[in-house]
Amino acid sequence: MLRQLQIHQLQVRFNGEQILNDLSFKVAPGELFAIIGPNGAGKSTLLKSILGLIHPQQGDVSILGDHRKVIVGYVPQSRVIDDETPISASDFVSLGQISGFLPWLSRKEKKALNEIMQFTDTKRLANKPIGTLSGGERQRVFLAQALVRKPDLLLLDESTANLDPEAQIQMMELVKNAAKEWGVTALFICHDLQMVGTYADHVLLLSRQGYKTGHPEDILHDRKLMTTVFHGSSSENGTMHHVPTESELPLAGFPQ
Amino acid sequence: MFQYDFMQHAFIAGTLIAMMCGVIGVFIIARSLSFIAHTLSHIGFAGAAFSAYAGIDPLLGLLLFTIAGAVGVGQLGVRMYRRDASISVILSLALGLGILFLSLGNIQGNYSRTLLFGSVVGIDMQDIWQIVLITVLVLVVLAVGYRWLKFDSFDQVGAQSAGLPIRLISIGFLLLMAAATSVTVQIVGALLVFALMTVPAAAARFYTQSIFGMILISTLIAVLSVWFGLIAGYYTNAPISFFIVFFNAISYFFGMFFHRVRERRRVLAP
Repeated sequence: MLRQLQIHQLQVRFNGEQILNDLSFKVAPGELFAIIGPNGAGKSTLLKSILGLIHPQQGDVSILGDHRKVIVGYVPQSRVIDDETPISASDFVSLGQISGFLPWLSRKEKKALNEIMQFTDTKRLANKPIGTLSGGERQRVFLAQALVRKPDLLLLDESTANLDPEAQIQMMELVKNAAKEWGVTALFICHDLQMVGTYADHVLLLSRQGYKTGHPEDILHDRKLMTTVFHGSSSENGTMHHVPTESELPLAGFPQ
Repeated sequence: MFQYDFMQHAFIAGTLIAMMCGVIGVFIIARSLSFIAHTLSHIGFAGAAFSAYAGIDPLLGLLLFTIAGAVGVGQLGVRMYRRDASISVILSLALGLGILFLSLGNIQGNYSRTLLFGSVVGIDMQDIWQIVLITVLVLVVLAVGYRWLKFDSFDQVGAQSAGLPIRLISIGFLLLMAAATSVTVQIVGALLVFALMTVPAAAARFYTQSIFGMILISTLIAVLSVWFGLIAGYYTNAPISFFIVFFNAISYFFGMFFHRVRERRRVLAP
């Protein structure tokens, strides 16, 4: 189980541009931690830095586990899956089982695979080719693959972005249950602020100008802060429900 | 047929090579490296021609050139190398070099034909031991690295985020391809390595949705194609390579038909 995730004075530059600047925050074990902010704020860069795919110029990411090396699961917004890809959903989930040395799965690994496919409601898709699944079904299969190694930390990069509202809720319920049942700590990037209000224990609001962490109600109800970040100017009007989602916001001034 | 030593040797060598190609081919197709396999076989042709010119063992020249080619592709980056232009340049350069070495060494036409189209007649016990060694090496490495290679081949995003060393896996796989190409060129020739390495695996995708199933079916198709080629070639005196490619092509088109029928049934099912 994750003991602590700490980001300390993280600075990331890319192509001469400062993406993350002096970012510091902590994530407590077992919590659902949302990352929100306009496009180009560095949300995906942050997740990639935590995954170790991007090396920061300064600062560090410290992931502490209990007894063993921390296992990190990752669910991207989408993967390029060729519709002709013939492998079955169960084989795709099983790709995540990388710890054994034998080419075939042990009895314990088969049990873990079965358990995770039941948990994510992908058992009924087990023999279907991954290329023939709908967007929502694929995302659940991707989530199952990320969970099959029983990760301590789960990172979701806009993984509900292309789903209809019902499928979004199903995904987030699965993440919430994984946190509750196995103590998985989840960081998720989300554009739907209502979803953030419903599921997140803490929120990181990230923009090029700075960042703020806090409880969802403190961040999302701070109209001045939200308007400044998303509109680039201050305003005293509006309530949380009127705060526009990212897709409705003017994107000028925010690098893609 | 089996009273002749050369046919016994051909069956042993052909079966081993087919097994290796059937297994490695599944990953070649999944990683979209078919044309890199084709290019490596042409680099192998240049290597074998160089061996003839320099008077060294053909397998040594093949290995030297294909491994250098694999390392080059690894350094250049597979994605960049996959570009049409890069493939055509390297492929034609390799062919050109092969022709140059054949000319410089004043090599006879028979040897050139063997390099391009393969030959099973001249396989001796030393060749068989070389083939056994390389086949076992390739299959053992594939078995040991199976889970990592499978993850990286079928879902690179997932493999990278799980912390797998994807660059190392990529270069390691290219080296295995180089070794497999080097022994296969000697049997089916530089022009048809491509067929034995990719067509059985491409056909296997039509018959199953399991990765392990694909490996089994691809291996079966490759082995049957070699046996069919050897038997048909023995009785007709026509080139063995033709029968190997013909069998593989039939398996592929039959698989395509089988897949379509199954998909239609699936769509129409209540």
